[in-house]
Amino acid sequence: MSEKELQEFLNVCNVWKGFGEGDSRQEVLRGMDFQVRKGEFCVLLGPSGSGKSTLLNIIGGIDSADDGYISIAGDKLRDMDEKMLTRYRRKHLGYVFQLYNLIPNLNVKENIEVGAYLSDDPLDIDELLNTLGLWEHRYKLPNQLSGGQQQRTSIGRAIVKNPDILLCDEPTGALDYNTSKEILKLIEDVNQKYGNTIIMVTHNNAIQDMADHVIKLRDGKVRKNIINENKISATELDW
Amino acid sequence: MRNPINKRILRDLAKEWKRYVVLFLLMSFMIGTASGMYVANGSMLKAFDDSYDKYNLEDGHLEFKEEPTEELLAAMPGNINLYEQFYKEVSEVSDGNDSAAVRVFKIREDLNIACVIEGRLPEGTGEIAIDRMHADNNGISIGDTITVNGTGLQVVGFIALPDYSTLFKKNSDIMFNAIDFDVALVTDDAWEELPGNVKYQYAFRYDTAPASVYEEKEWGDDLMEKIAVIAATGGYTDDKDVAEELADNVDEWTSTLENMDENTSFEDISEAIDNLESLEPYEDNTNELIDFLPGYANQAIHFAPEDFGSDVAIMGVLVYVFIAVLAFVFAITTSNTIVKEAAVIGTLRATGYTRGELTVYYMMMPVIITLLSAVTGNVLGYTIFKDAVVSMYYNSYSLPTYETVWNAEAFIKTTLIPLVLMFIINLFIIVKKMRLSPLKFLRRDLSSSKRKKAVRLPRIKFFSRFRLRILLQNLGSYFVLFFGIAFVMLLLSFSIGLPETLDHYKHVMTEELISEYQYILMDYEDEDGNVITTDNGDAEKFSMNTLETIDGVHVGEGITIYGIEDDSKYVKADLPEDGVLVSSAYALKFMLHEGDTITLKEKYSDKTYSFVVRGIYKYMGGLSVFMRNDDFNECFDLDDDSFTGFLSSGKIDDIDEDLIYTIVTREDIMALSIQIDHSMGDYMDYVSFACLIIGILVIYLLTKIIIEKNAASISMVKVLGYENREINSLYVNLTTAIVVICAIATSLLSVLGLTAIFSVIMYTMSGWFEVYVSFISILKMIGILLISYFIVSFFDIMRIKKIPLTDALKNVE
Repeated sequence: MSEKELQEFLNVCNVWKGFGEGDSRQEVLRGMDFQVRKGEFCVLLGPSGSGKSTLLNIIGGIDSADDGYISIAGDKLRDMDEKMLTRYRRKHLGYVFQLYNLIPNLNVKENIEVGAYLSDDPLDIDELLNTLGLWEHRYKLPNQLSGGQQQRTSIGRAIVKNPDILLCDEPTGALDYNTSKEILKLIEDVNQKYGNTIIMVTHNNAIQDMADHVIKLRDGKVRKNIINENKISATELDW
Repeated sequence: MRNPINKRILRDLAKEWKRYVVLFLLMSFMIGTASGMYVANGSMLKAFDDSYDKYNLEDGHLEFKEEPTEELLAAMPGNINLYEQFYKEVSEVSDGNDSAAVRVFKIREDLNIACVIEGRLPEGTGEIAIDRMHADNNGISIGDTITVNGTGLQVVGFIALPDYSTLFKKNSDIMFNAIDFDVALVTDDAWEELPGNVKYQYAFRYDTAPASVYEEKEWGDDLMEKIAVIAATGGYTDDKDVAEELADNVDEWTSTLENMDENTSFEDISEAIDNLESLEPYEDNTNELIDFLPGYANQAIHFAPEDFGSDVAIMGVLVYVFIAVLAFVFAITTSNTIVKEAAVIGTLRATGYTRGELTVYYMMMPVIITLLSAVTGNVLGYTIFKDAVVSMYYNSYSLPTYETVWNAEAFIKTTLIPLVLMFIINLFIIVKKMRLSPLKFLRRDLSSSKRKKAVRLPRIKFFSRFRLRILLQNLGSYFVLFFGIAFVMLLLSFSIGLPETLDHYKHVMTEELISEYQYILMDYEDEDGNVITTDNGDAEKFSMNTLETIDGVHVGEGITIYGIEDDSKYVKADLPEDGVLVSSAYALKFMLHEGDTITLKEKYSDKTYSFVVRGIYKYMGGLSVFMRNDDFNECFDLDDDSFTGFLSSGKIDDIDEDLIYTIVTREDIMALSIQIDHSMGDYMDYVSFACLIIGILVIYLLTKIIIEKNAASISMVKVLGYENREINSLYVNLTTAIVVICAIATSLLSVLGLTAIFSVIMYTMSGWFEVYVSFISILKMIGILLISYFIVSFFDIMRIKKIPLTDALKNVE
C-alpha cells in the first residue's frame, strides 16, 4: 500500500443521504467529506440525529449513499454489487454494536468462533479470550454474563477475523462508567496490538481524547476534522 | 471449519422440545399411516398379481343356460381352454345368523385354485370349506356345522378364492356383500349330493396371455361374440354374419316347407329338407350364453385392488395437505424466530455472513425434523400401521396370504415428497424474509409491507380496537390456523359424516325400496308354454333388463330398465307414454334433466337404445329407468305378454323353484351400505378420536406461535398494569373467537369438500349415493374441535401467565 493509499485508506467523498419522500424528506448526510488513515483510531462524534450512525452503516456497506462515494483502499463501495459487498464485509470489516447482539444459545467461545469462521486466517481464539479477559467465562452463555462481558464477547467476535476496519456503533452506550472505560481500553489495546483501523461512533465527548482522529458532525455535515496529536489512554478518560 | 452457528441446532431443539416433539409426532403419525397404507397396498397388490400364476387365476368365465354337450364344447374357439366350474347357489344357515346365499363349487384342481387361510380343504362328503371373510363376518369357526340347503356340513377350512377376492354376488351389484353371500368348496361327491340348481359356469384361460389390457378387451369382446354364436348355432359356426345368414336361410327353408303348395318345386322342397336335416346334428347342441365376464371386467377380482388404490390416493392427498399445513407451521415458527433474532441476524449479515449461510441454518430444523419423522414414520409404516391397514383390508376382502415387500412408491410419496414440500415451503418463506437488508434486520424493521401508516379502525371500544390490531398483526398465523382447523374438520367430516351418510342411505333405501322381493323368472312361460302366474295378491308383474351407459361420468355403468304395470302399487308414478322416468340416483350421478335424451347399449352387443327423460322418479336404490311394461316389450322386441318376473312385498311360495332364476331381496339392495358400514364403521370412532388428538396438537402449535410472537407486547401490557384477566380477554378471547368462526366456516367447507371427494369416488364406482351430514353432526364436529381448543386454551392461559415482565424490555433498541 502506497503512502497515499495509507493516508486515504478510507475515503468519504461528498456523501449524501436522505430519508423519506416529498415534503417529508430529510437529508441526514449533506456532502460528507473526510479521509481516515490505515490503523487510525477515528471517532465520529455528534449529537443524536447528526448522521453518525447512518454514515457508519454506509461505510459498513449495509446502507448506501444517495450521492458521493466511499472507498476503502481504493475500492469504491458504490461499484460493488450485493455479493461483493457481503464479501467486502466478510473479509475487511468487524462490527460492534451498542446492544452486543450475541447469539443467545452459543457460549462465549462459540460466539467468537462465529466471527472466526468468516476468516481464512483468524486470530487464535484462546489467546484472544485471554486478551479479552474472558477465558474464565468462555463456556458461559450470554445471559450468564454482565453487560461488559457481553460487549467484550461482541468485540472478540468482531476482531477474531482480524478485520482491516472495526466499526463500533456506540459500544459503551449501554454500559456503566467503569465498564465503559474497560471496553474502551480493550478497543485501544486491540487497535495497538492488531493495527486495525477503528471507526467509533459515539456521542460521548470524552472519548475523543483517546482517538487519533476526531470528526465532529452536526446536521449531516463535518463540522470539525481534528487530528489529535495529544491523545490519552482510555484509562485516563473521565466524564 | 464447520459453521459454528449450526451448533445451535441441538440447543434450539432442547429449548423448544415441546413444539418439535408435537411436530415430530404429528408428522410421524401421518407419514406412518400413509406409509403403512402404501406398503400394505403394495404387498397386497403383489400378492394379488402373484395369484395369477400361484393360484391360476382365470382370464374370464362364462355361463351357459343348460349343460353344454361335448360337441359344443369341442366347437369352442381354439385360443382358450375351458375349465368346468359348475356351482350351486343355495342357502346357508349358521348359528345366530340370517340365511345367506352360498355358491358351492367342487374343489378346483386346475384354475382359480383356493388359498387355504386356515384349516384344510374338505376330504369327506360331510365337510365344507368356506370363505374366510364371510366366516369372520358371521362368527363361523372351524369345526362349526352350517346348514347348506338343508344339508348339515362341517366347516373344515377357511379359504380365499382368487376369483372372489371381493364377494360380489353379481358383477352388476353396487357393492360386494361378504355378510349375506359366501363361496364354498366341497368334494365332488358332496357336490353331487347337494340339492340345488346347477349353474353351468366355465372359467377360461387364453393359450397365450394378451399383451395388453387393450388387447385383452379386444379378445374378450371377440370371444364373447364367437361363443354366443357357437352356442346359439350348436357349434355350426362362430361367425356372426354366417349365423345371421343361416338364420335367414332356416326361416326361408322352414317357410318353404310350411307354405309349400302345387307351385313349389320338388327341388326346392328337397333342398329345404336336406339343408334342415344337415343342421340336425347341431340342433341338439344349441345352447344360450347367459353370462360372459372377461377377467378385466370382473369386480369380484378387481374391486379389491382398485379399492386399495383409491384408499391410497385419498391418503396421499391428506398427507400432502397435512404436511403443507405443518410446513406452514414450521415456516411461521421460523419466521417468528427470525423476527426475534433480527438484531443478531443483522449483526451477522453486517459482519459478512451471507444470506445463504443463514438460510441453510434456518432450514436445518424443518428438514431434520421432517427427516426424523419420515424415518420413524416409515419404520412404523412397515410395522404397526401396515398391520393395521392389512387387517382393515382383510376385514373387507377375501384376500390370499401376503408377504411384506419394499415399496419404492411409499418411499417417494411418504418420504421424498413431504421432505420436498417442507423444504420448498420453508425455503420460500425464509428466503423471502432473508431478502431484507442487514440494516433492516438491525433496525428490526422486518415488515415487507410498504404501508407507512397503521390501518384505520372504526370508532369502537378500546379493547375491541386492541383486539383488531392483534388480529391484523397476526393475520398470517391466523390464516394458517384457519387451514389447520380446516384440515382437522375435513378429517372429522369423514369420521362423522361417512357413517351418518351410510345410515341415511339405509334409511332412504328402506323408505324407497321398490319392493321387498323381486322374483326374476327363467322365462315368463313354463316348459309347456303356459304363462307363469301366482296367487299371491301382492305380486305384480314387471320386466327388467340391464343396459350400459356409453357416455357421461361413468361409461359402462349398468342401468336397470324396469317395465312397470300401469297403476303399479310399487312404482307410484304416472309413467309417460312418450318417454321414461329415471331414478333420482341416475339423474344425480349423470346430471340428467327432464327433456334430456339418454342412449344406452346392450352389454354384449353394439345395439343401442335411446330414451327421452320425461321426469325423475324419487328412488336412490339404483340407477334405473322406468317405463310402461308395454313400451318395454316393444322396445326390446319381446312378446306383448312378456315379463321378467314379479315384484312382491311378501314371499311367493307358489312358483316352482326351477322356474325362478334369482330373487333380489332387501338385503341384496342394502348390501352396499351394510358392507361399508361393517368394513369401516368400527374405524370411524378411532378416526374421530385421532381427529381430537390431531386437533389439539395443531391448535396447540398454532396458538403457541401466536402467543410467543406477542410475548413482548403481552409483557409490556403487564408492565403497564393490565391484569391477567384483561390480557386473556385481549389475546385468548380473540383466538377463541377466531377458532369458533373458523370452526363454523370450515365445518361447512369440509362438508362441501367431503361431498366433492365422495362424488369423485362414486363416479368411479357403480351406483350412487350422496353425502349426508346432518346439522347435529356438524355441531358434533364443531364441538369436538372446540373441546380440542378449550383444552389447548388452558395451556395458553398458563403460558400467558408465565411471560415475564422483563420480556418487554429485552433487546429493544
